[in-house]
Amino acid sequence: MVAMPAQNRDRSLGFNMTPMIDVVFLLIIFFLISSHLTRQEQQVKLALPIAKTGAHPTQLTNPRLIINLLADGRVVIQDEDVTQAMIGQRIGASLERLDAKERENFEVRIRCARQTPYEFVQPILTGCVQQGIWNVTFAVYSPEEAPAS
Amino acid sequence: MRVTRSYRADALDMNSAMTPMIDVVFLLLIFFVWTISFQAIERLLPSNVSREAGKLESNLEDLDPEVDFERIVVRLTGDAASPQYRVNEQVFGSAAEVRAFLQTIVAIKPDAPVVIHPDDQIEIGPVVGLLDISRQCGFSKVSFAAKPPSAR
Repeated sequence: MVAMPAQNRDRSLGFNMTPMIDVVFLLIIFFLISSHLTRQEQQVKLALPIAKTGAHPTQLTNPRLIINLLADGRVVIQDEDVTQAMIGQRIGASLERLDAKERENFEVRIRCARQTPYEFVQPILTGCVQQGIWNVTFAVYSPEEAPAS
Repeated sequence: MRVTRSYRADALDMNSAMTPMIDVVFLLLIFFVWTISFQAIERLLPSNVSREAGKLESNLEDLDPEVDFERIVVRLTGDAASPQYRVNEQVFGSAAEVRAFLQTIVAIKPDAPVVIHPDDQIEIGPVVGLLDISRQCGFSKVSFAAKPPSAR
């Protein structure tokens, strides 16, 4: 019997981390891309208003409804065009699916172009009040991070 | 001759070790390129629509334009993009002037509720700007005025 060279024995016993790191990174990238694309799907590209006191979202798990409001008054909710009259109804439909505790934390996020006249924002605010929602937020850019338009 | 062989073996070993390293480096590169988002980060501006009153301010026409700042009503009228501001009937030409005025008031009455009452044609940019100014000055109760649905 021929003895194996010592160098070869060492190599076969060593655990190679590289392919494992490779696979883990690939998985991370996969999930990042898929979550990013899902998020992007819901977001209509808008030139949001600019505000200094805007904060980063903290309650990420709260149920929310994102209302996109275009400068011409068109309303887009969950990738669907909605008439002004139907906004209250859509908020009500979102609330129906929630239990009492979730309703308490329900958030309506208004994403509107900064050129949108106030008359188009007003029905959303009124709709929220009628449904008893106080947690209404405006999506804004901070002056430093606002994209050049 | 022996020296040359060992050199070759080393070179071969290094070549095979480079491949997974390049692999990982490229993955890291893709990871960082992806995480540096090309989209601007959105922030949130809470508006406290109706927490205090349980309804939007809808009877503003009856408000007395008194100056004791029981309630600060800021009206936005005129030009859609650069409106004229009226704080309790006192006229201001720019947002900077309103900010200075609100800073004076907040020193006297920091808990006064601020009601933002824009005209229909005013763009939301200056309206949100005013909400931002009120928050910067330190007012915590800022609400919006809206006509009841029947009046529209």
